[in-house]
Amino acid sequence: MNRSMLSSSPYAHNNQNVRKVMMQVQIAAFPALMAHIYLFGFGIVIQWMLAVATFIVVEYSMLKLRGRPVWPFMSDLSALITVTGLVFCIPPEAPWWVVVSGSAFALIFGKHLYGGLGYNPFNPAMLGYAFLLISFPVQMTQWTMPLDITGSTLGLIESAQIIFNGAAHTHTMDMFTGATPLGELKTSLTQGVTALETLNREPYGLLFGLSAWAWINLAFLLGGLWMVLSGVISWQFPVAFLGALAGMAFIFHQVDPTLYPPVSFVLLSGGTMLAAFFIITDPVTASTTPRGKLVYACGIGILVYVIRNWGAFPDGIAFAILLMNIAVPLIDQYTQPRVFGHKLKG
Amino acid sequence: MIEAVLIFLGLALLFGILLGYASVRFKVEGNPMADQIDKVLPQTQCGQCGYPGCRPYAEALANGEAEVNLCIPGGNEVMIEISEITGLEQKPMAEGAAEPKPKEVAFIDEDLCIGCVLCIKECPVDAILGATKQMHTVIEKECTGCEKCVPVCPVDCIEMRPVEVTTKNWKWPEPQTIQEGK
Amino acid sequence: MNPSNLLSVALRFLAKLYPASKRWLHRFHGGVFPQYYKSLSATQPIRKAFIPEKLILPLEQPVGLPAETLVKVGERVKKNQLLAQASKDPQKALIVPVHAPTSGTVMAIQPMTLPHPSGLQDQCIVLQPDGLDEAIVNALEVDGSHPGSPEALKSTLLHAGIVGMGGAGFPTYAKIPNQRGKIHTLLINGAECEPFITCDDLLMQTRAQEIVQGALITAHALGASKIICGIETNKPEAIRAMQEAASNTPVEIRSVETVYPMGGQKQLTLELTGVEMPHKAHAVDLGLLMMNVATYAAIYRAVVHGEPLTSRLVTVSGLGLNKPFNIHALIGTPFSALAELAEPKVTLDYPLVMGGPMMGFQVQNNDVPVIKTTNCILANPPEPVAMQMPCIRCGECMQACPVNLLPQQMYWHTQAHEYDKVEKLNVFDCIECGCCSYVCPSHIPLVQYYRHAKSEIKAMHAEEKATELAKQRHEFKLARIEREKREREARLKAKKEAVKKEALAEESPSAKKPEATAKSAAEAARAAAAKRAAAQKQSQKSDDSNNPPIPPARLKAIEAAKKAAAQKAQQKNEESSASSKVNREPPKSEQDEKKPDAKSAAKAAAMKAAQKRTQAKKQASTESASEVTSAKKDARQRAIEAAKKRAAAKKAELQPMAEMETEQACSDSAFPQQADVKDNTTAATELTETTTSTPASEKETARRAAIKAAKEAVAKRKAASPSKTEQTENTATPKPDEDKRKKAIEAARNRAAQKRNAANESQQGDK
Repeated sequence: MNRSMLSSSPYAHNNQNVRKVMMQVQIAAFPALMAHIYLFGFGIVIQWMLAVATFIVVEYSMLKLRGRPVWPFMSDLSALITVTGLVFCIPPEAPWWVVVSGSAFALIFGKHLYGGLGYNPFNPAMLGYAFLLISFPVQMTQWTMPLDITGSTLGLIESAQIIFNGAAHTHTMDMFTGATPLGELKTSLTQGVTALETLNREPYGLLFGLSAWAWINLAFLLGGLWMVLSGVISWQFPVAFLGALAGMAFIFHQVDPTLYPPVSFVLLSGGTMLAAFFIITDPVTASTTPRGKLVYACGIGILVYVIRNWGAFPDGIAFAILLMNIAVPLIDQYTQPRVFGHKLKG
Repeated sequence: MIEAVLIFLGLALLFGILLGYASVRFKVEGNPMADQIDKVLPQTQCGQCGYPGCRPYAEALANGEAEVNLCIPGGNEVMIEISEITGLEQKPMAEGAAEPKPKEVAFIDEDLCIGCVLCIKECPVDAILGATKQMHTVIEKECTGCEKCVPVCPVDCIEMRPVEVTTKNWKWPEPQTIQEGK
Repeated sequence: MNPSNLLSVALRFLAKLYPASKRWLHRFHGGVFPQYYKSLSATQPIRKAFIPEKLILPLEQPVGLPAETLVKVGERVKKNQLLAQASKDPQKALIVPVHAPTSGTVMAIQPMTLPHPSGLQDQCIVLQPDGLDEAIVNALEVDGSHPGSPEALKSTLLHAGIVGMGGAGFPTYAKIPNQRGKIHTLLINGAECEPFITCDDLLMQTRAQEIVQGALITAHALGASKIICGIETNKPEAIRAMQEAASNTPVEIRSVETVYPMGGQKQLTLELTGVEMPHKAHAVDLGLLMMNVATYAAIYRAVVHGEPLTSRLVTVSGLGLNKPFNIHALIGTPFSALAELAEPKVTLDYPLVMGGPMMGFQVQNNDVPVIKTTNCILANPPEPVAMQMPCIRCGECMQACPVNLLPQQMYWHTQAHEYDKVEKLNVFDCIECGCCSYVCPSHIPLVQYYRHAKSEIKAMHAEEKATELAKQRHEFKLARIEREKREREARLKAKKEAVKKEALAEESPSAKKPEATAKSAAEAARAAAAKRAAAQKQSQKSDDSNNPPIPPARLKAIEAAKKAAAQKAQQKNEESSASSKVNREPPKSEQDEKKPDAKSAAKAAAMKAAQKRTQAKKQASTESASEVTSAKKDARQRAIEAAKKRAAAKKAELQPMAEMETEQACSDSAFPQQADVKDNTTAATELTETTTSTPASEKETARRAAIKAAKEAVAKRKAASPSKTEQTENTATPKPDEDKRKKAIEAARNRAAQKRNAANESQQGDK
């Protein structure tokens, strides 16, 4: 009878574990992946596979170097979520070394150097994205034109050729890439074109009345809602984030519609929904108290709007998240819930 | 030029007033450092530091006359706390002193005790009861485990015994982290 | 349909879509919905009583101090007979009496493993049942009437040995307030929220009447007007039975949501009354009293039938058993005996759990006995331990916490051993329900971290208290030594002066001056005595150890050391010396100019003495130890003589002083008397030297012999005691031992005599 190990109650568990949670997140991203393939072609599949390969190599070597058990930590799949989040932010036809260096940076500098899962203060995916955006601004802003504009998307082989060789023999880079709507808007505004004009100019075709970007966002929304309902993520994050963003957009659009785009555009462009359900919900780097989650997500929403409209970059999600990551300990400190039987403090 | 000078003068004046106010408003009486150190010392009054008790050692530390690593019962933890309070550099504990041991209390073998009252005299906290020619006994609750009484006993009837673990003072062990291996 | 019902229906519908909304159905925060497995044992009828081969009755209950045994090994006892009870005030020490669960013989009273997570042992009465089950009827000698006051009820409950049977085991009599009318609402806890456990369920089904009657008795005694019983919805049978029993009584039966931990005292109180018990407050202060259904049934049996608590309904269940059941188990029945009855699927080579899977604990030995708080014996075969992953801060634990704590933050701080921060996060509000660990996706044993943190914090506080006490006691001791020194100095000074004046008077009989000095000296002495007496009263406790008459021979040596110590203190501490100066005021006014000289000389003397003393410290101390016996008498005689002489000379009023003081004073006064011919200060120096150094050189041999003798005696004793042959100890050893002791005393006497001679010689020489 081995009684040396004293274990404490409870002796029951709901059989939830980190791997299951991460798998659910991965599954929730599936609709968006499908939409992405349909609208932008198979580039993302190759990017994703590249990222997964990077994740396996990097995780394995880092865990070995750190002297940690490899299998349990690799199989928790948290790194998979990180690289998946990153892949959605990278142009589908970007060169292969972009995604590889981005993923490696995200995992090594974003996670392992801080002590691995659970100890990183910054969202690794966003750290990787920020790194790429600053290091390779050209490659990172050349997005593939969606289906609604070009009328066709690249196949797997063509994408692979572009990603690994820089160009397929049938296409050149410039033929199928351009700025994202957010980038377009920013450029036009600097040229003195109003926001409304830019949006109404409508260079993009419409699928069932919505742009390709809106469809991607809706796909993320679908997966995200499922995660909220099944309890994988807290409702506070998307609600506060989208609420704050919409609020900002509404106020400024009312003030000057020529300069500031309408709410619908703000919510369904760029990585808004990706961030709302998949990125800011990363529990490790987010606030943990219920009220803290609201504050944290609200802060990101406001910062995103500020950076989009007055900053140097077309989309500010990565920077907004990294900035709020810094504030997390402070938020947690001041949003502690009232303990049963204790009086409300302040 | 003149504006700049004036601004700086004004600022200097402002900060001066602020500092002056703060020094009056937040004045601390006495020697707070000695008190602080005295608070972290284990108060065994064992004298192993070379000072007659914990308070004198704290005062010596506050005056910068003593090393931070002299408190043997306190061990490393107290040394670190002291160095934090005094701002002095941390020093490793002397050989064999770093090992923290479970709390012990003195026990007098009452069959052997001859009632010499020597240990009573020695006890820094008056935790030994007894009278001349009558056996002595240790008030376990008040014994600090300083071991001062052990060497003075002429018949070696005092020994240090670890405090007994009962269901009342038993501690839940810290969970073992099973991070290694699968 | 009222709105609240509508809401709950809507929520139930929503719960299918959004499972987390189930938590909105109850009033407290969080909670979990584990798999219950209740049907395993709830569907079985209660098994018929069973008398095991032996019963183990711990003297100590989970709360409070152990009781004291009334029976001897080998004694035959009857069922319900009192075996152990409190010798102290049971109210304060929370002692619960122990009764025999069946008739039999007391086999042993020895330490046995307790049903406690630590697996520690403690004294238990081991009873061998004879199978006759011969009982003392109405052992508590009650008349069956319902007690009309809390006191009467409490006394019955105390003698019946009833404790809270829900889990904590707090003695029930101690829980009940003394004031009638303080409790307005009585709550019955029938929630039983833990998986597997069904004993309360079956008790409510089979003994609903007793429970209701027990509650009515309690309410009658306490003057409570409302009685509410909360039962979880997953026990429809129990609810029906209780409703039937409660019809036509003021008892209100309410069904509550099935959620863990609904049975927590604070949680159920909130659910039933809407009162959120404030932090650190007791339910009693709010006029609420909650007890478990089993406790009420026990109250009924004690009050009406005079039966002490000797058995309880226990669930024996678990996935490792073929035939789980409930049974009225005798207190003291070993777990293994009951588990074997339930036909384990495989041999019970794994630890059984006392209590449910959420809050129970693994016992360290499967033979531990059923105690009054054992509601369940759980046999779940061990599952592979899931690897503990790092915390990902997902906050699941926080959402599950019924107390709304921040489990993850407490966990981080506990891991970092920052226990003060853990305490600030209110870890002591944690009810250790296990919800956080249950939902943790990283499989972190959070509850164990909190239990560890709690015990560490408790130990920390205990240590802080001890430290503070030690500090106070040490400071007190220093102050006392200082005070004694000052007083002695004052007396010394006064006497010196008196003696000097006397000598002067003898030489030139001008009467006035000496008289005045003598008077003032006497006054000083009296004042000192008064002060001492007052101080003694204040410091009775710590003076205990120093009150016994201290032999003057030793005093001399010790005094020298004290002086040295005091000197050090003076150098360091200006203040203290200033204050001592103030105290020395009266003599000073008389003889101001001589003071500094005397002081410095005394200092020098003391220092020298201290040096010498440290050299010969060990020997000196041993010497005085053995010297004590014989030297004392002589010294006292001498002192008394000296006192008489002095008394005659100057009519000093020293009588009111206690004997000890006289003695001390006299031994002090010995110096100036002898010194009067020569210059005071030098004489004093010399004397101190002689007292310490001369004996050291002269009596080395005698002392060595004494030490040797003592050591030998000790060695003999120590050698003799482990062999544990009592007879040799009693008969053979003492004799040589005594001889040795006698020898030592003899040696000491010789030494004392020598010393006296030496002293006399030096005195004569001086004269």
